Amino acid sequence: MSNEPTGAQLVISTLKALGVETLFGYPGGAIMPIYDALAGSGLQHILVRHEQGASFAADAYARATGKVGVCMATSGPGATNLITGIANAYMDSVPLVCITGQVGTHLMGTDGFQEVDILGICLPIVKHSWLVRNPADIPRILAEAFAIASEGRPGPVLVDIPKDVAAAHTGTSSTATFPAWTAPEPDANAIREAEKLIASAKKPLFYAGGGVEMGGASPAFLELVKRTGIPVVTTLKGIGVVPTTEELYLGMLGMHGTRAANTAVQESDLLIALGARFDDRATGKLNAFAPNAKIIHADIDPAEINKLRKANVGIVGNLKTTIESLNPKVEGIQKWVEKCKADKWEHRFRYNAPGAGVYAPALLKLLSEKAGDKFIAACDVGQHQMWVAQHCEFANCRAHLTSGGSGAMGYGLPAGVGAKLAKPDHHVVTISGDGSFMMNIQEMATLNRYNIPLKIVLLDNSSLGLVRQWQELFYQENYSEIDLSDNPDFVVVAKAFGLDAFRITHRHEVEGAVDRLLAAEGPTLLHVLIDPRENVWPLVPPGASNAEMMEERWDEPLDSY
Amino acid sequence: MSHLIHIELDRLEGSLLRVLGLIERRGFHIDQMELYDLGEKRGLSVTVRPRDPSRSPDQLGLQIDRLYGITRLSADPRVGAGADTQAKQGIRA
Ligand SMILES: Cc1ncc(C[n+]2csc(CCOP(=O)(O)OP(=O)(O)O)c2C)c(N)n1
Ligand SMILES: [Mg+2]
Repeated sequence: MSNEPTGAQLVISTLKALGVETLFGYPGGAIMPIYDALAGSGLQHILVRHEQGASFAADAYARATGKVGVCMATSGPGATNLITGIANAYMDSVPLVCITGQVGTHLMGTDGFQEVDILGICLPIVKHSWLVRNPADIPRILAEAFAIASEGRPGPVLVDIPKDVAAAHTGTSSTATFPAWTAPEPDANAIREAEKLIASAKKPLFYAGGGVEMGGASPAFLELVKRTGIPVVTTLKGIGVVPTTEELYLGMLGMHGTRAANTAVQESDLLIALGARFDDRATGKLNAFAPNAKIIHADIDPAEINKLRKANVGIVGNLKTTIESLNPKVEGIQKWVEKCKADKWEHRFRYNAPGAGVYAPALLKLLSEKAGDKFIAACDVGQHQMWVAQHCEFANCRAHLTSGGSGAMGYGLPAGVGAKLAKPDHHVVTISGDGSFMMNIQEMATLNRYNIPLKIVLLDNSSLGLVRQWQELFYQENYSEIDLSDNPDFVVVAKAFGLDAFRITHRHEVEGAVDRLLAAEGPTLLHVLIDPRENVWPLVPPGASNAEMMEERWDEPLDSY
Repeated sequence: MSHLIHIELDRLEGSLLRVLGLIERRGFHIDQMELYDLGEKRGLSVTVRPRDPSRSPDQLGLQIDRLYGITRLSADPRVGAGADTQAKQGIRA
């Protein structure tokens, strides 16, 4: 046996040299040399129970910390099980390094056992990918992979390593670096042009996306908001770039946005888009979006400027310095700001829903208030996800982990695993629905194995609620394949996995249940039965302008709940 | 309306598929293409046509610029030295 390291040993030593502490994965034939080198290495490997869980957990670990998330899987089915997580990270620009085992080089292209062209499959959903042909390249490729995943507009990358390459000895040492990339500084002329537009605007509005936080610009942005007094709407991913309690914050825009936010966008004469990408869920019918507004669009990614909406001023580059250098003279906007605030007050959410059943929006608001600044929500996808976005208070953007661009059911539980490992001193709560929860329910075993004290709120409407809502509203109540009334007893299931679990069915139980959940020592599931007929309001119908919001009101005295 | 794009490819795994896939995915037909040797690199000239008028070739160019090991050139590199390389201007986002 040679004393020189193997490719697999280089993978492990390079990961450590790059500062990795925790990674998520699942072993198998083609990646066995790497798992062999992993044992006793000091890296914390979290064995999930499905590779999709590994990619989602690593994604949430990255979102919660700003570091690069790492996951590993074997070839073939292991690799394909990562794909939803890779696509999810791509859509939401999350830095993720995915390492897959591949069949031996001599078997590649022969339909070998568990061979799949994962590099080919993933081409449209990665920033970049590598197939390692020579073990000596491993340190360089991994250093490059980490740099590319995190620099500029972050995103997932894939490193596919054939088994023989991982097993081979090589003379290379594990130190490799990749030249650091610095974001280009914004063009000073563009900044001046933007300031001029802001100075002449009477109804300016910030439209902030997740890029503000990813660019490390949230504190600078809050300062800019306070300095200029210009109101703010955010995208789903931008929630928290200013604390949700900030008085100039009008809420999320778009399909399930607040009336105040959507109205402000439609009426504004200048939209200042920062780290946002005019996604269709945010804009509604694009050519009716912000019809009176000029556009300033600042982003690190030049390909986003003018992609969907022509910008009057485009600013490419470092968003933090862009925001810091903006120093416009803002005059004569008081009437506008008062109007925005008045709309916000008039159309504030009401929590006095009729009946004695649990009203999920009220529960979620209370949960976030009780958890306070240490609250982190890991959401699944559906009505419950929109209720979190609408009703929870967030102190910062990294406290709201949600599958935005991809809308991937099954994200919530593994995301909670990743986030709680990343932020053990926070109140990390997975908020899931009965449909979504079943998509990665197996990760309760991961909570139990590592005793990860994640809290879970399962909002159970015994249906695929968001789909049911669309069928009710847009498909003439033709309910097709949305009934989940044969769900298992989730309390029994959770207990079988080793969690503590309890159930509530009535409104008067909510406060006690939230207290009990937050105080629990170990992983705990709160099963909440809610009315299947409850809908998410307001709603912009698909394809409609954001001006056409549907809403439902009930006639009860305000704030009686 | 057709557009001719010249691209330089590093000899990396998947780079040809990466760029052709991107062009189709972003809403363009590939009407013609030519791959040729540039020594250390490969050259690719592609004639593309948008599927509908909302697809902008300028935007496609910026999408191509985001790829790694793939450089968009504004003029035919075979025309001779000094060809105007509108490289990535340091932007790797
Ligand atoms: C993986 C995946 N499959 C299908 C969908 C489509 N979809 C969106 S929301 C939803 C229903 C989600 O049900 P549940 O988790 O119970 O949440 P609820 O809407 O009831 O709160 C479905 C099926 C999706 N987003 N992701
Ligand atoms: Mg449901």
